[in-house]
Amino acid sequence: MRAQFVLQEVWTGLRRNLTMTIALIVVVAISLSLLGTGLLFVKQVDSTRTYWQSKVQLSIYLCTATSVSPRCLQSGPATQAEKNQIYAELTRLQQVEHVYYVSQAQAFTQFKQDFARSAFMHLVTASDIPDSFEVKLHNAQTGYNVVASTVAGAPGVDQIVNNTTILAKFYRLLDGARTAVVITAIILIIAAVLLVANTIRLSAFNRRRETSIMRLVGASNFYVQLPFLVEGVIAGLAGWLIAAVLLVAVKTLGLDSLQQYFPYNVQLSLADLIEVIALAMVVGVLLCGTTSFLTLRRYLRA
Amino acid sequence: MIHFDNVTKTYPNQSRPALESVSLDIEKGEFVFLVGPSGSGKSTFLRLVLREERPTEGRILVAGKDLAKISNWKVPYMRRRIGCVFQDFRLLPNKSVYQNVAFALQVIGKPRKFIRKVVPEVVDLVGLEGKHDRMPDELSGGEQQRVAMARAFVNRPMILLADEPTGNIDPATSIGIMKVLDRINRTGTTVVMATHDAAIVDSMRKRVIELEYGKIVRDQSRGVYGQAY
Repeated sequence: MRAQFVLQEVWTGLRRNLTMTIALIVVVAISLSLLGTGLLFVKQVDSTRTYWQSKVQLSIYLCTATSVSPRCLQSGPATQAEKNQIYAELTRLQQVEHVYYVSQAQAFTQFKQDFARSAFMHLVTASDIPDSFEVKLHNAQTGYNVVASTVAGAPGVDQIVNNTTILAKFYRLLDGARTAVVITAIILIIAAVLLVANTIRLSAFNRRRETSIMRLVGASNFYVQLPFLVEGVIAGLAGWLIAAVLLVAVKTLGLDSLQQYFPYNVQLSLADLIEVIALAMVVGVLLCGTTSFLTLRRYLRA
Repeated sequence: MIHFDNVTKTYPNQSRPALESVSLDIEKGEFVFLVGPSGSGKSTFLRLVLREERPTEGRILVAGKDLAKISNWKVPYMRRRIGCVFQDFRLLPNKSVYQNVAFALQVIGKPRKFIRKVVPEVVDLVGLEGKHDRMPDELSGGEQQRVAMARAFVNRPMILLADEPTGNIDPATSIGIMKVLDRINRTGTTVVMATHDAAIVDSMRKRVIELEYGKIVRDQSRGVYGQAY
């Protein structure tokens, strides 16, 4: 009966300032979904980044018969002795974690996979694709220069490519978008806090007769505040539900479409999504709950 | 039941105290009129008993408890033992007679079964038989005050404070209100009533405490409103 009574009070409260309640739900929904989007971005960036960092960070392409760089034209295709020499030097460096040799045939297979739908596919043959040493470093940031300078001038070496710099641009874009989303989310959360405070204050004003009588007949502070608290939390939960739907959309319609630009799996798992949505709920409920509680403490003080 | 020991109350930004060195004792089961012109300190007295205000000086005991020593969160529990009636009734306009009275029990968490049993009894006790489902705006002033009294009494308080309960009611109806208060008093509840109504005070012949400028100028058992009458 107590629960029923409190819920009845909550329902009247929410209905009485319906417009404020709707505004509150919308702002909570948008701020939570932006916050969640920011978090999903972070996770997405991390998922692609860790993939790359766990793979090869440095590619050393070797001269082939068809190489056109001046150095390769001068020295001709890399001989087996030169390759052995380069491999030995690379493995001796302590910054290097592992060295893989990718033959022309292997590189060609990978190339065919990555560019399967390209129009120029049939123009390329296995001999056009250079073989390479793919180097995995202990630390991508500090190790690159040492390794690159060691093998830069070595005979048979065509190009040294830092894979992390290729991705840097992409990451900068993604990082920027994430920061923008998070900042917007924070601003909106501040707006949401103010709106919660205002809605609760209005609600308390609307029900000042009830609350004054409650205090008069000796209702405990908890009992006086509970309907307002529940009101705030319900609005928060309603906003969160909308945000949850939006977040599912952000993942399935937005982030998952990134997949087509990657040769490997970058899709966030369902667990990632659930984690973000759960976090949004905690934030939403805490936000609405504590704000209404603090507002009431000021407003309903004896 | 109510013990004031040299109580002074000065409101902030006011030079003259609202109550000055008031000492009195009200025993259990007494019926006391608090009389005096507006601003003489009657309302302040009632607010102090409710601990809506704290005295500037002196000590107040209600039911043997020192109000200064009751912590804030315990005040609601103390108020459950004190009923209150006001000049303006303070009913909830969107609730029926029954719901208004039940509200007082709902908000202190009484079980539904108990409420169903007790509320009709009390509504009948104040003389509103057959009007349980009326809304406040369908009732006369006197009937509304009866609802307020039922609400104040439904939790069987030890003390009933009434602040000008007949202030908005015509003399004929007031007699009925006084009868209800008298009935409540006979159940053992201490009643303290602040009033301007000389006719009522004179007819009841109860203890009269007269305040003037915050001081007790007369405390008379079986008294009348004032010397002039």
